[in-house]
This record gives sequence, structure tokens and C-alpha cells, in this order.
Amino acid sequence: MKRRGFLLGALATAGCRRDRRPRLNVYNWSAYVAPETIPTFEREFGVRVRYVTYESNEEMLAQVITGNSGWDVVFPTHNRVPPMASMGLLAPLDHRRLKNLGNLEAQFQSPAWDPGLRWSMPYMWFGTGIAFNRSVVPPPRAWADLWSPRLKGRLTMLDDPEDVIGACLRKLALPFGSTNPEELRRAERALIEQKRLVRAYLNAEVRDQLVSGDVLAAQLWSTTAAQALDAAPSLDFVFPAEGFPLYCDSAVILRESRRVELAHEFLDYLLRPQVSAGIAQSTLTATANAPGRMLLPDKLRTSPALYPAPDVMQRGEWPGTLPAAAQRLRDRIWTEVKAA
Amino acid sequence: MKRGLAIYAALAYVFLHLPLATLVIFSFNASRFTLWEGFSLRWYQAVFTDADMADAAWNSVIIAIVSTVISTVAGTLTAYALWKRGSRLISGSLYLSLVTPEIVTGISLLAFFQWAFRWLGWHLGLYTVVLAHISFSIAYVAIVVAARLQTFDPALEEAAMDLGATEWRAFWRVTLPALTPGIVAAGLLALTISFDDYVITSLVAGVDSTTLPMVIYALARRGANPSINAISALIVVIFGAIILISERLREA
Amino acid sequence: MTRLRFWFLLPARLWFIVLFFAPLAIICAYSLLTRGVYGGVERPWTFENYRRMIDPLYGAILLRSILLSALATAICVVLAFPLALFISRATRRKSLYLHLVILPFWTSFLVRTYAWMFLLRDTGLVNTALIGLGFLRQPLPLLYNDGAVLLGLVYGFLPFMVLPLYATLERMDPALLEAAADLGARPWAVFFRVIVPLAKPGIWAGVALVFIPCLGAYLTPDLLGGGKSVMIGNLVQNQFTNARDWPFGSAVSLTLMLLTLAALGALYRRGPKELL
Repeated sequence: MKRRGFLLGALATAGCRRDRRPRLNVYNWSAYVAPETIPTFEREFGVRVRYVTYESNEEMLAQVITGNSGWDVVFPTHNRVPPMASMGLLAPLDHRRLKNLGNLEAQFQSPAWDPGLRWSMPYMWFGTGIAFNRSVVPPPRAWADLWSPRLKGRLTMLDDPEDVIGACLRKLALPFGSTNPEELRRAERALIEQKRLVRAYLNAEVRDQLVSGDVLAAQLWSTTAAQALDAAPSLDFVFPAEGFPLYCDSAVILRESRRVELAHEFLDYLLRPQVSAGIAQSTLTATANAPGRMLLPDKLRTSPALYPAPDVMQRGEWPGTLPAAAQRLRDRIWTEVKAA
Repeated sequence: MKRGLAIYAALAYVFLHLPLATLVIFSFNASRFTLWEGFSLRWYQAVFTDADMADAAWNSVIIAIVSTVISTVAGTLTAYALWKRGSRLISGSLYLSLVTPEIVTGISLLAFFQWAFRWLGWHLGLYTVVLAHISFSIAYVAIVVAARLQTFDPALEEAAMDLGATEWRAFWRVTLPALTPGIVAAGLLALTISFDDYVITSLVAGVDSTTLPMVIYALARRGANPSINAISALIVVIFGAIILISERLREA
Repeated sequence: MTRLRFWFLLPARLWFIVLFFAPLAIICAYSLLTRGVYGGVERPWTFENYRRMIDPLYGAILLRSILLSALATAICVVLAFPLALFISRATRRKSLYLHLVILPFWTSFLVRTYAWMFLLRDTGLVNTALIGLGFLRQPLPLLYNDGAVLLGLVYGFLPFMVLPLYATLERMDPALLEAAADLGARPWAVFFRVIVPLAKPGIWAGVALVFIPCLGAYLTPDLLGGGKSVMIGNLVQNQFTNARDWPFGSAVSLTLMLLTLAALGALYRRGPKELL
């Protein structure tokens, strides 16, 4: 009897330890905040933040698309914002609550994917390229180099349909955002051919394997690559010659959120120059915040991987949202490539 | 032939136990690489100071206890009722739930919850994980208790009822005490299955309900962390203890 | 009399309706619907999802799942038989030997699968040891392929084969073996013409206990196969998460269920009545 009472009591007190502070649920990419970012926000505003990370847009969308995922703030890549908005998943941003919005770089103040920033707040931006081990000679310079048989088993591609299909299209000198079924099928065949060489389809998770030397070449986002390069001098990064995509991860507030005001406070907090600089310095990402970038040490501010020179940027493009039929076809092709 | 068999058996046991043994041994490795660099408890320290892991472990414990209690009670009552008089529908569906692949159970529950939430406006959370765990545990408990009932003599209950006891009293005072070791064993079985579940849990867990297997899986996918060795060693010890107790009770 | 039974069966009935039947019904319905552009489920009703399964690409996955499962099962039979024979012949400590077989199984499945990742990685124990001892210069790609998945499946389900085999061999009458020896049969002949046929019910029980879970395996091919869609379980999981194609995923999972039931049906007839 006594033992039972004790157990029940213990369980009850455990339940009572629940926090009474308001809570914000934030779902973000991995390695996208500094260690002090969240705790400082929690302390200053007297709230609790549940902060969980994901590795791909698809992972995030799979939860969010149900309309009752429980998240307040998520960070989709820029071309996912228009369809999310049109599906009614997003809460419109109240600019009166975002006093620091002017801190964004000029090119992000009213971008093509979200004129006037009705739905999204640009956060960090990057491009996709090739991270490789210097022991690979000659070093990869183009997407086509990722089809080289000598990389067999030591090559990874991103677990991202847009990046992978896009890279293949560029290798075939076709448009990155092609909607032509014939061209897409050609890309699919080339990808299935490449699959024999591919060790795995991995996003940021491949960083450790690059650093340890398990993987010799990886299609990778420039920020993850910068993190890897920082950890291992034997690595290098290049933006491919045929052209590459540029992306901007943006913060959005979900319509299902029950803490819209707090979410706005969080976004405004992220727009502060010191906060943004702190994150960029800790995670080696490229911030969309202009004064934030000015606060960075020289080496980081001018890093070619994070802030490419104008002539490199020329080769880059910002992918737009695809029409429904093309999106369906690409999703179908991705499943088939993964399953092959 | 006997000697050959003995040698083979020894090799077989090595095969069965070596992977886990090396995992445990290397959890004490001072280096983060696979080269032995000396004895160290740093990875255990890392595990115990990791707030996320503590949260996840706590969730796992709560889910395991709650779902086990409910499914043990439900499973026992079901096994007993079926023992008195069978029901093809119920026993058939229990067997079906046992053979259903975990992934199918998981996605069907996910689809059901999301469909129901469209009307209810709820979210996935600890409670959906608990419900899912109950869903697959009931069959296990029912099977174990049913097996135990096979060895129980119905004459004992009949005697009690002849002496004036109601059906309920006969069950509560005669059958249940005799079944208790089997019930506890079934409960412990359900406990380990619930604690270890990854597939179903990962599909129906919500924002707050990360469990220990989910944390381990994420680390395993990432590839390089020896703290998995440490947490694995701890799990091996805990599971081993639970199962030992369960076996003792089962043979009681 | 039946009021007690009514209340006692109520939890099971609730479970059946809410947590068993309703989910399956929804999956059946979804398998006949269409995927929304970015996910979700919408009309029109269609058989398209099932038609997609006949596509050689998915047929290949189905086939690979069946082949891998069959191969894993066959290997389990071969590996388990001598071990079961040894235990059944042991004069003392039978219980200990049995416990040693079951013990690894009763630890976390996830942990046991990770143990093989730890061993087979390029920087894992096997490669590090072989390179250290000078047998290799470059690490062997032991992980992220069908072979690793096969190893994981065999390792994971071997105890399931040992136990029923042991149960059958234990009950075997030693007089039969003596009789065969008396009639002049040599040990190998005794083994293949007396022991194995007598152990058949145990073999089939073991086959059922290994083959069927292998068909629906998810964790093993996912972790040891490198996240590529190796088996049906992975395909289903992918459709319900990243690919967000619930209708197609539902059709695939129902197909998996049918396969499982077909295998169960075929094996049940051959095996003993008490399969579990």
C-alpha cells in the first residue's frame, strides 16, 4: 500500500512540474541558431520556447500541411511560401509589430516570392554547390563532375527533390525550373544512372561524414559547407560552373498558431542586428540582416562560400514556385529515383 | 559430432552477443573515434547532462507506464472473457493486429488521428502516442495471459461459485491471484515493447512528445556520436533487468 | 452470467472500433483517393494508386522485399538448426543456453540495429581493425547496401528461428535416432533423412516467425540500407512523410498487408496449429 501511494504521489508531483509560462513552438532547420539565441529570448520575454529542428522542407511540410501540427513558427525556403500562403496555412505578418523589419538587406525588402513581405520574414540565405575533399584530384568544378565513377560510394546528393533534379537539369544544360515533361524525364534517367554512385541522399547530416572523410564529395548547401570547412581544413567548396540555385529560408507564422503576438515578438527579436550577427557567427550562415552582417568579423563577412562575389552570383538564380502539374511530376520522379 | 556442435554453438553465441558487447565496451572509450584511447565516462556524462535526452527519456517513461497499465488491464480482461467464451471477431482481430507490420499500424493510426482532428481541432501529442502504444500492446498482453489461462483449471472457479460466490468474486478472488505472475510478466513485456518502439511513435508523436528511441534514431542517422553507445548500454542494462524479472515471474 | 463478460470485453471492443477498424477503413478509403498538389487527400476517387503499384519500379521493390525476406529466412534456418540441435542435446544448463539466445533479442531493437552500424561503418570497428592489422588500405563499403540489410535481418530474427526449432527437436524421440544408427545409417544420413524431416513443423513455424516480420521490416533497411527505399516498409514510410502522398502510401501498405496475410495463410497450412 505504502509503495503504491509513493508511486502515485511521485507521478502527481511530476505532472505538477509543468511550466506555467506561455510557450512558443518553433520548428527550424538544424544548426540555425546560436546557443544563447533561444535562452536569451526566453529570459527577456519570460516565456518558454520549444525548439525542434528538421533537415528538409518536406519533413517540415509533412507536419504543417495537416493544419494542426502544433507549431507556431516554421522556416520554409522561399519558394514554399507562396503555395503555403495560397493553401491558407500562414498568418499574415503585422508589420506594426515588426519594428526591425527595415534591417533587412535591400534585395530582401520586397522579394519576388513575397512582395511587401506579407507572409514571410527573410532569415538566412545560401546557395547549393559541391563540398569536396581536397584529396579528390582534379577537384570538382561542375555538376557533371558528380557523375564521375571514381566517386562511387563516396558521393552524396541532397535529400531534396528540387536541388537534385535541378542540378541534373543544369548538367544537361536545361533550365533549373523546367516544367517540360520530356526534359524532366531525361533528368530522371540521368539521376537513376547516377544512383549507382550515390552513397546516400543526405542533407546537413552528411557534414560529419565529410569531416571524417567517409564522404569525398557532397552536393551541399553553402552554409552547411561553411560549417564543414570550418571543422576540417581538408575540405573545400565550389559553386558549379553550369549554374546553381540561391535560396532564402524565411520565418513564417502558421495560421493555426494560438500565440500570434508572441510569434511576432520572436521574429522581431531575430531581426535585431546583434542577435542576427550572433547567430551568423555561431552557425556560419549568411544573414539577410544588413546591420547584422556589418557586425561580423571580416573573415566571415567576406567568406566566398557564404557571400559569393558578384561574378559568381551571376551564375545563380532564385527558383520560383512551380505550377501544380510540374510539381506533381517532379514529386513523382523523386519517388521513382529514390525507389530505383 | 557433439564437439563440432559445441564449437558451432560457441561461435553462434559470439555472433549474437558481440555487436552489443562491443557497443557497450566502446561506450567507455575516451576517444570519439573507433580507436581505443583509454577508459572514460565522458559519454555517460554527456548523456546525463543532455536536456533533450532527459526530456525524451521522461516522455518514454510516462508513455510506457500509462500505456502498459491500461493495456495490461484491458488485455487481461479480454483474455479472461475470451477464455470463458470465445469471440472470433475479437480474437481474430487481435491476431491480425499482431501480424500487421508496424509501419502499417503506424500510418493507419496517423491517418485516423489526423482525420479525427479535422473535426476536433486537436493536435498530436503524448496522448496519441499512448493510444497508439495501447493499440499494439493489448494483443501481446492478451496472448500471454491467455497462455497462462490454459494452465488454469476452470474447476476452481466453478467450485467457488458452487460455494455461493458471484462470477465477479470468483474472478477477483480465485482466478486473478493465480494469474498475477502471468499478468505482471505480460505487463513487463508490454513495457519493454512500448519503451523501445520507434516506427509507430515517430509517426504519431506531436510537438512535445519526442521519445528516447526518436532521439537515438536521429543520432544514429547523423552517424558519429559515441553518446549513443552510452545510452545504448544503459538501455541494455535496464531492459535486461526488466526481462529477467519478467522471466522469473513467468516461470513462477 | 453474460453481464460480466460484456463489461470485460468492452475495452477490447472499443479498441477494435477506434484503434483498429477505423484506422484501417480510413487507409482503405485513402488508397482510392488522390493526392493534393502539396500533400493532403482529395477527390476524385480512382484506382490510380493501385495501377501505379504494377509499375516495374515498385514491382521491383516488392520483389526485392520478398527476396530479401526469403533469403534472410533461409539463412536463419541454416544458422539456427545446429544451434537448436546443440541446445536440445545439452544435458545440463539448457535453460541457460536458451536464455543466452533470447537475451540479445530482449534488448532494444533500435540499439541492436545501431550496433551493426557501429561495426560496419567506414570508420567502424571492422574496418578500423582490418586497416589497423594491415589487411586493408582503404575501408570496405560494408554499410548502406543490401548485404548489410540482410545481415541486420538475420541477426534480428535468428532467435525466432532457434526457439521453435529447439521446441520440436526437444520432443524428438532419441530411440528413432538409435534405430537409424542400428540400421547402419551414418551420421549425415541420420541428420538429413531422420532429424530434418521430423523437425519440419518447427522449421515451418520458424519460417513464419521470421519471414513475415522481415516482409514488413522498416528500421533495419532504413538504418543499414542508407535511407534509400530498399523495402516496402521504407516506401510506405516515405509516402507518409516526406513525399506526402498518402493515397499512394495507403495503397502500398494495404498491398503489404495482403502479402503478409497471403504468406501467413500459406505457412499456416504447413506448420503446426500453435504458430505462436
